[in-house]
Amino acid sequence: MVTREEIMKIAVLSKLFVADDEIDKLTEDMSEIISFADTINNAADEGVEFDNINNLSNVLREDTVKPSLDREKILANAKDNDEGCFLVKNHA
Amino acid sequence: MKYEMVAGFETHVELATNTKIFCSCTTQFGGEPNTHCCPVCIGLPGTLPKLNKKVVEYAIKAGLATNCEIAEISKMDRKNYCYPDLPKAYQISQFDMPLCKNGYIELSNGRKIRLTRIHIEEDAGKLVHRKGDTLVDYNRGGVPLIEIVSEPDIRTIDEAREYVEKLQLIMRYIGVSDCKMQEGSMRCDVNISVRPVGSDKLGTRTEIKNMNSIAFIAKAMEYEFNRQVDLIESGEKVVQETLRYDDVTNTTSSMRGKEDANDYRYFRDPDLVTINVPREKVEEIKSQLPELPTQKLKRYVEELGLPEADAQLLTKYRKIAEYYEKAIKDTKNPKTAANFIIGQIFSRIENETEKEQFNINVSAESLNELIKLIDDGKIRMNLAKSTLEKMLDTGKKVTELLSESDMTGLDENALLDLCRQAVESNPNAVSDYKNGKEKAIKALVGFVMKNSRGKADAVAAENKIKEIIM
Repeated sequence: MVTREEIMKIAVLSKLFVADDEIDKLTEDMSEIISFADTINNAADEGVEFDNINNLSNVLREDTVKPSLDREKILANAKDNDEGCFLVKNHA
Repeated sequence: MKYEMVAGFETHVELATNTKIFCSCTTQFGGEPNTHCCPVCIGLPGTLPKLNKKVVEYAIKAGLATNCEIAEISKMDRKNYCYPDLPKAYQISQFDMPLCKNGYIELSNGRKIRLTRIHIEEDAGKLVHRKGDTLVDYNRGGVPLIEIVSEPDIRTIDEAREYVEKLQLIMRYIGVSDCKMQEGSMRCDVNISVRPVGSDKLGTRTEIKNMNSIAFIAKAMEYEFNRQVDLIESGEKVVQETLRYDDVTNTTSSMRGKEDANDYRYFRDPDLVTINVPREKVEEIKSQLPELPTQKLKRYVEELGLPEADAQLLTKYRKIAEYYEKAIKDTKNPKTAANFIIGQIFSRIENETEKEQFNINVSAESLNELIKLIDDGKIRMNLAKSTLEKMLDTGKKVTELLSESDMTGLDENALLDLCRQAVESNPNAVSDYKNGKEKAIKALVGFVMKNSRGKADAVAAENKIKEIIM
């Protein structure tokens, strides 16, 4: 089970603002999500071949330089930029 | 009460690959801000990281060179934290299955500093804090790092210094990093605590972050050791926290309380597949490792008979050792070449950087030729020394500076003639010597050396002159 305190701690770590009246609902939802994951964990998987990334290994790249993206495009989605850099406001 | 220091290091070493760890952007240092970036390394949604083969190889090399076990199976994890130097709000690192573990570095006092692990991860971007806002440059973001984590086995500042120097030396030897602390390609975090001498309990530790010079590490550790001892002595407690060292004021100050590993909410990166390291691959990499500095040092002392101090100077940089080994190839006395390099050649080198690069205008082959002439008795040491000076001045080869006649020794009669000439043309020196000024004989020997163009044997000349005068 997930506790209110855990929800509050995760919110702080994720830098999310959660209003007081949302906490109970979130606690409930999160518990349900986790128990759903447990259901999957408990499913019988013996003899079942999963086609997932665990069957792959060593997908590696050669160490060869390719051109980077134009800076204009790199910064295109930035809210603000200055001197060729992303600009972020400092928080107190 | 007497206290002892207990310290462990987390050392970040930037790998000298051409490209970043998960994309093909260049890792070149410098460059205009955000020009070495692509959708992968700025963390745009929908992009997929792909691991650089070289990064895995270099990390294994580093592990083997520091006596680590290499994992058969390894994986990448996400370390979550929110800070603008990480565009994805997580760093791709390794949590519970690092590539290398259980190694050690042996210090000159015989103590082994155990290495817990070496893992691979991506570097973060660079932040420039201004008033009210911060500029973010992601050129460094995604540059491959290895993090070398030691056990808290370091007890003194001297050990700390030697540990960092040894790591630096090894990483440079095996060519996985240039380890330039001033450019940030090697950075250390130091975990430090104190305890009464004789106790085997660990005290509360603090972590001094991101130090980029050995001198600062030494100063910061000294300051922090004293600060912690003072706290304990005055009945207060050391708070576990992360500290920043200020090299101007020589003090440490708190950056933040230490997160629990839990707070990073590590989990496997689902975008990256398992890393399998076949044993044959490990053997292959092992067979390609060069002789390591400690092995070289031992061989120079035991097999070549060099004094330890000489061996240390010659093995400090790989290029110097390689030069030396070429210079002594098929020669009889390894000490001669060592003396030439440490004496005459080093005296022309200004600083450590130049030593490391070791661009000398006399090739190792040329020095080898010179030494063989001495071995064969064709020239004497003093002529060899002055010839080396000329070689260093002009970049010319031995054969261009010495004629055939220089390389044939002086016969008995010619020596006698020159000694007679010396006595005849320096009556003052002769009478000084006769009046008891022993040193006056040097002027006469000097005359012989000069007029024989260094071919005469100074000791034989001195004896001859004495015979003539007496």
